Order: sequence, then structure tokens, then C-alpha cells
Amino acid sequence: MKRELYDHLVRVGLSRRRFLQGTTAIAGAAAMSGAGGLLKPARSFAMDDVRAEILKIPGVGMGSPTDADWQRVGELCLGGTRETVAEGEFEGVELTFMGLNNQNLHNFLFRGFLRSWEEYTGATINWIDLAQADYNARLQQSIATGTVDFDIIEMGAPFEGDTAGRGLLNEMPDWVAELIDMDDYVDYLKAPVGTWDGKTYRVSIDGDCHTFAFRKDYYESEELAAAWASEGDGSAWAQPTTWEMVNAHSKFLAGKTDPLTGLDAHGYLDPLKGWGGFGFYFLENRAAPYVKHPDDPAWLFDPETMAPRVNNPGWVQAIQDVMDLIATDGAYPADQINADPGTTAFQQFLAGTGAMLNWWGDVGSSARTSDTSVVGDVVGFDINPGSERVYNSMTGAWEDTPNVSPNNAYIGWGIYVTNRVEGDDLKRKAAWSAAAHLGGKDLSLWASAYPSGFQPYRNSHFQFEEWEEAGYDRAYVEDYLGSNSDSYNHPNAAIEPRIPGIFQYYSVAEDELAKGFAGEYGSAQETADAIAAAWERITDQIGRESQIALYRASLGL
Amino acid sequence: MSAQGDLLHVVTQDDISAQRARFGRLIVWGSFALLILVAGVQTLGTQGVIAPIADNWRPTLYAYVLWAICLCAGQVLVRGEQGKRVLFVLPATLFVVSMVVFPLLFGLVIAFSDWNLSSPDGRQFNGWDNVVQMWNDPFYWNALTNMVWYTLAILVEYTIAFGLALLLNSQIKARKFFRVAFLLPLMLSPVAVSWMIGKSMLEIRFGPISRFLREIGVDNVTFFGNPELARLTIMAMDAWTFIPFMMIMILAGLQAIPKEVQEAAKVDGASGWRGFWEVTFPLMLPVSITAILIRIIFKLKLADIIINVTSGGPGGATDSVTSFIFREYRDRSNVGYGTMLAMVYLVIIVIAMTVLMKLADRWMRPRY
Repeated sequence: MKRELYDHLVRVGLSRRRFLQGTTAIAGAAAMSGAGGLLKPARSFAMDDVRAEILKIPGVGMGSPTDADWQRVGELCLGGTRETVAEGEFEGVELTFMGLNNQNLHNFLFRGFLRSWEEYTGATINWIDLAQADYNARLQQSIATGTVDFDIIEMGAPFEGDTAGRGLLNEMPDWVAELIDMDDYVDYLKAPVGTWDGKTYRVSIDGDCHTFAFRKDYYESEELAAAWASEGDGSAWAQPTTWEMVNAHSKFLAGKTDPLTGLDAHGYLDPLKGWGGFGFYFLENRAAPYVKHPDDPAWLFDPETMAPRVNNPGWVQAIQDVMDLIATDGAYPADQINADPGTTAFQQFLAGTGAMLNWWGDVGSSARTSDTSVVGDVVGFDINPGSERVYNSMTGAWEDTPNVSPNNAYIGWGIYVTNRVEGDDLKRKAAWSAAAHLGGKDLSLWASAYPSGFQPYRNSHFQFEEWEEAGYDRAYVEDYLGSNSDSYNHPNAAIEPRIPGIFQYYSVAEDELAKGFAGEYGSAQETADAIAAAWERITDQIGRESQIALYRASLGL
Repeated sequence: MSAQGDLLHVVTQDDISAQRARFGRLIVWGSFALLILVAGVQTLGTQGVIAPIADNWRPTLYAYVLWAICLCAGQVLVRGEQGKRVLFVLPATLFVVSMVVFPLLFGLVIAFSDWNLSSPDGRQFNGWDNVVQMWNDPFYWNALTNMVWYTLAILVEYTIAFGLALLLNSQIKARKFFRVAFLLPLMLSPVAVSWMIGKSMLEIRFGPISRFLREIGVDNVTFFGNPELARLTIMAMDAWTFIPFMMIMILAGLQAIPKEVQEAAKVDGASGWRGFWEVTFPLMLPVSITAILIRIIFKLKLADIIINVTSGGPGGATDSVTSFIFREYRDRSNVGYGTMLAMVYLVIIVIAMTVLMKLADRWMRPRY
């Protein structure tokens, strides 16, 4: 869970009424306990229920968890390890674990979670902590120079092409797959994600997707509704569900007044400036419903030739939509050409500028918790808007059928074991045991519910009763996390290809898009053609044949 | 002590036996042969001709260190006191060769390679392909053109810095306070400047500068909205950081000018402007040229503010060569091409700076 979301949930969960309920219950329990220990059986029952017990560590409203809490959770979730490993079985085994240290989470939690595992199994773990910005460079350099010096790695699925595709990972043993209950994963995290050439390599610990955030007050405004009735296309003034509607609303809102701030109203907030490759995900949001055909798993490249599809009519339409809004006075805030996704989310949308946005979980979690957010009470969530038509790359023609395709951008973090453990069965078992412990079903519930840096990613994480019983606000959990769940499990979700150098493609696309948006290319088609040409060069440089093979493998073809 | 030879500088009587000299030469050449042998074996090992002797190049490194030590010791053994004198320079020379020259040569090898870190084929020699690609790369030429504009802005910075230095050199109130206050921007990291000014004060909706401009009636406040304005704003932020550097150098120069010279000019009837233009400015020329040259070197490295504030946009209008190489190298793992761009930039800088220093040398020569 994101720390901000936790803070918010704590805030709304510990309302005065709920607090009084809690204190009354504690007082009553104390009285009953004193009157003969009637609570003992109930407490004993709770101890048996690991999920309920870990959700009380440290407890909602008891401050952020500490290392002692992480250790306690790790200890309580050690059941799977006890079932599969004898005490002291890994005595003398030394493992190296490479992961992130963002916000003092990730590796910091893993250390605590694995403390009891180390004590029980006898293995020791050495840690390599990396800042997010250093991660890609460290990983790529390790791979390119043949200096992989870690046995276990926390890694995003987009890097599977760079690692599994080169045979650097160790295949997951069957007993691990059974132990972590992979059937419980949300649909999009199931194979082919985490697999390569039919072999499984990943223990998922996170999920990612972009969800649609919109301002409810815009759509509850009678003034705007009346204006739309006279200026609009005859449709109801309501939350848009297609990109065509998003664009129409954005043009309509130019020159209107924001119902909350009284400043200029704006519609959808496109980031028009690059963001180290991550900005391309935001064009993908627009393009996905146009180009992700339900009958075709590919949407960025042709799986037979690696020819880019980024300049097909669907993608060009998405770029054209942005260019049309750039050409509409007042559709975007001033200086939007210099707004990256960080700006659109935190300096614009959360600060009260703009009616619509697509983003990761951070916006949902910050909307009501950040001190700089003014939209907490007027924000709603949904999955990525759809489109009224979809481009079929196989037939080369538009189909006038509605299409929906959420963009599950980045696919989330996982734990992988490298091939350094091969040839040493004990070390291999130890590495996979540690990975299984971190990706265990119960432990992951705790990570979803408390600040950890990880979002829910199992179907069992969306049993809202568990959250409610733990003291969380049900309405907000249902609204925000529900949009995540719907995106994860959508049958036509756009999932990025896990091929080597995927962020190189995104990065160069950002440069070309910036030129297109600044008017340096004649049209959307020219911009898209420039991106396609740059992508062709990258494919040739990395190796077309190997990219085709790896791309097909990542699509499960 | 010898009664002949350089008695003024030689303090030790060296009586080097033939055996000692032979031993000295032996350890130098022996360790060199070992270095060649180990490096050769490791090279053959990496190419798969023979079984590798190690996973890394440490054996060669150790052989190099051994050779360096033997080379130093050999100087003393063979040449006695003359050898000891060489030891004042030789270790430093070997260190520079190890840390600068060798990496530069290695960098050249990479620059002529097709090396994308994501490519399963690894590094491949590709001759002049990277140069051809660079020649046809509009992003690189655009960045180079921007660098010309950024560098020309130094003339404006210099003028402002000179003005401020004159101000601080005159008898004004709170002179010490202003000297410290004007130096403050230089103490800030450019990254902090990027966020404090570029991302906060110039934020178009809530930033105080934007609010002020709106208050005085400026509509559609923007600082990075169009290419020219964005470039100017980047120049201004960079100038704000580094003008104090030039100012402090010029101020030091001004304080070093003998007062008698300016007083003599006054006695001769020179006005304020003529006194400055005919006396102060020419006397300040050496300091000015030095300040400008150092500032150019700083400017050619300009990247942090651009990366943080505009990422080179809009449409590449603010890209510097360094920020472009950063994207090519870090975001796209294109090590071969990125290194070639950096090497070409290095050559351009070396040539430009050499020409500038020659010209500066000519300008600073006294005119009699």
C-alpha cells in the first residue's frame, strides 16, 4: 500500500464514532475478562486466524509500522516456510538480495519480513539497496558486463525481457508455485506475465495500472450542465466513458469556470512533456482503446516483424486528439507543453486544476490525504475510458464497435531468483524459499493494507470485509480499489511487452512527441512516423530476430 | 662525496654497482613482461581462445600495480639520486595514465562501437557508423546550436557581473552585507535552483512570480511555453547561479588595481566613463578573460537545470549537449553512441578552448 493511502484510510477510519466504538469494546472486553475470562476463546480463535491478526499489526491508527512490526508479521507468516523447510536446513547458505530503498520501504520491509526466516532456516542475506533512479542503470550494466552479483532481485515485469530473455533467471520450482497460490493473482498478473518460453520466473508482490480520476463537482454543476445542453452534442452531462467524450468535454470546458476554485476550467490533463520514458504511458492510455483489439494481444509492435504499430491510424488518432486540444485555446492550462506527469497529477489535478486525469495509485491515495490536495471530496474513479471504434491491425481497418482497454502500466514489482543459484540445490531452495515467503498470500495482504510501496494484486486482497473489519473506510476502499480491480481483471487490458530495452522505445517516443506537440512536425502522422522510424532503429540495434522471438514469448504466442 | 660534477644539486654519492643496476633493470622488465603476459592471457580468455583465468580483470590490474612499483624502484636502483628525483613525478604520471589516459582510450574504443546495453550481442565494433548517425541526428545539432546561444549569454552575464563588482567595490552602505548576499546563489546547488525557482517560484499557477505578473495585468503567464522564452528562462536561472562567481573574480581584480593609477587618471582629467574604459577595463582584462574562460567551461557542462526543469523541451528548444547525452546514455542505454557524442563534444571543446586561449593571450598582451 502507498503510504499516503494508508494515512488517509487511517484518518477516515478513526472517526470519532469509530474510536468510541473501539474504546467501548475494549472497556467491555476488559470488564468481561475480569468477570471470568469469557473472552479467552474468542482471542484464541483470533490467534488462529493469521490474516486477521497481522492486519492488527500495528493496528489502524497506531502510527506507521516499524521494523519490529515487520519482523512480527514475517514471523506470523512463516507457516509456509515451516511446511517446506526443516529448521536450520539452510545453515551456512549466504544469499545476496538486490532491491530498492524508495521511501525507506521495499528492502527495509524485506529485511524485517525475512528476519525470522533467516533465524528459522539458518541462511543469511546480504543486501544491495538501490535508489529508483539508479536501478535501471545498475541492472543493465550488471547484465551487459556479465557482473550479476545477486541471487535474488526485486524487479518490474518490463525487465523480464532483459533478464529472462537472456537466460539470467532461474525457473520457479513447482513447490513454490503451489505455496504462493498463483491462482489467486488478478488476471493480468497470471501467465504470460512472469513467464518466459513457458517457464515461470516471478513471485508477484505488486500490481500496477492507470485508473481514470475525474472531478464529480464538474458533473454535478448545474451551470455546466446547462451550458453543455446548449453547446454540447446532445448527450447527458455526465462522467465521460469514452475518449471521444473526454475530448468533447475538454473542448467544451475551455473558457468555463472551475466550480471548485473559481479559476479557469479545463478538461483532461495530458502531460505533454517527457518523463524519462514513463510519460509515454499516458499516450498509451488514449491509444489503448483505439488499438488494443480484443482478438489481438499485440498493440505496440507487429509480432511477426517487430514493425511498430505506433504509426497506424489508431495511434495517430490518439496523437491527433492531443494536437486538437493543443490547438483549442484554453483546453489545457497555460504552459501545458512543459507539464510532465508529475505536474499534471500533483501540481494540477490535486491542486484543483482540470477535470480529468489518468494516473497510477498515487493520485487515488493522495487525493484526500495530501495537504496540497483540494479535490479529496469531489474526486471519483473509474477504469480507463473506452472508444467508440477500434482499429484492427490484422485487417488494417477501423471497426465501428465500442472498445475498452485499461492500461496496466508497468505491471508491478516481483521477486526473481537469478541463475547464480544453479548448480547448488541448497542455495536454490533457499533463494526460492525467501522469495515465496515475501510473496506469500497472507504476508502480501499485510503489504497491501499498510505502507509498503506495493498495491493489492491478488483477488483475495479485494475482500473489502477484511479491510472493513480491520478498521478501514469501506466506501473509499470500494471506490478507489474497485477501479484497480476492474482494470487488473479486464479481459482486454493493454499490457506492455516485456522485451529488452522497452524503456528505450518509450524514451525516444517522448522526444519525438515533444517535437510533434511543439509543432515541429507537420501532422500527427508525421510525428508517429518519426517515432516508428526511431523504434525501427532501436530494434535493429538490439537485434530484430531476437526481439521478435522475445516479443512473441512475452505475448505468450 | 664526489669532488667533481654537479656539487650544488647532488647530495648523495652514488656508487651503483653493475649488479644493482642489472637487478633494477631486471625487475622493471620482468614485471613488464609479467604484465604483458597476464593481459595477453586474459584477453585470450575473454575471446574464448583459452580457458579464462579469472572472472574479472583484477589479475591484470595487480600486474600493472606490480609493474608500476617495480618501475619506481628500478629508477632508484639503476639511477641512484637521479632516480629518486624521478620519483617526485613518476607515481603521479602513472596515476594520471591509469585514471585519465587509459579510460580515455577505452572510451574511444566504446565510441566506435555499437553497444546498446539491451542488445544480447554486446559491444560490436561499428567503425564510423556512430559518427554518421551523429551527423544525421537533428537532436544533436539542435543541442549544439543551443549551446552556442547559451555560451553567448555569458557576455551578458559578464556585463552584469562587472556592474555588480563595480558597485560592491565602491563606497556603498552595507557593502559587506551585499557582498555576502550576492554570493548566496553560487552556494546553491543547480538542482536546488531547478526546484526552488524553475519548479516552484515560476510555477504558472501558484508560483509567486506568476502571481505577481498576473497582479500587474500580464495574461497567460508562461515561462517555458514557447521555445525562445524557455531558452531565455533557462539562461536566466543559470546566470542567476553563476553571475556571483564572475562577480567575485572581477571584484578581486578590482581590489588589486593600485589606487594611484585611477587617482592619476582623475588628476589628468579623466571622466568616470573614460577612467573606467581607458584605465580600469584594460587593467581588468586578464581577470575578465580568465573569468569568462572558466565560466565557458562551466556553461559547457550545463545539464542539471535543464534535465530537472524542461527535460530539453519544448521540442528540444532548451536541450544542451550534456542533457541530450544523458538521455541517450541513461534512458536509452545507448552506450556506444552516447560515448561518441561525448567524445566529439570533448574535441569541439578542446579546439574551441585552445582557440579562445590563444586569442585571449593576444588580447591580454600589453599594447605599447
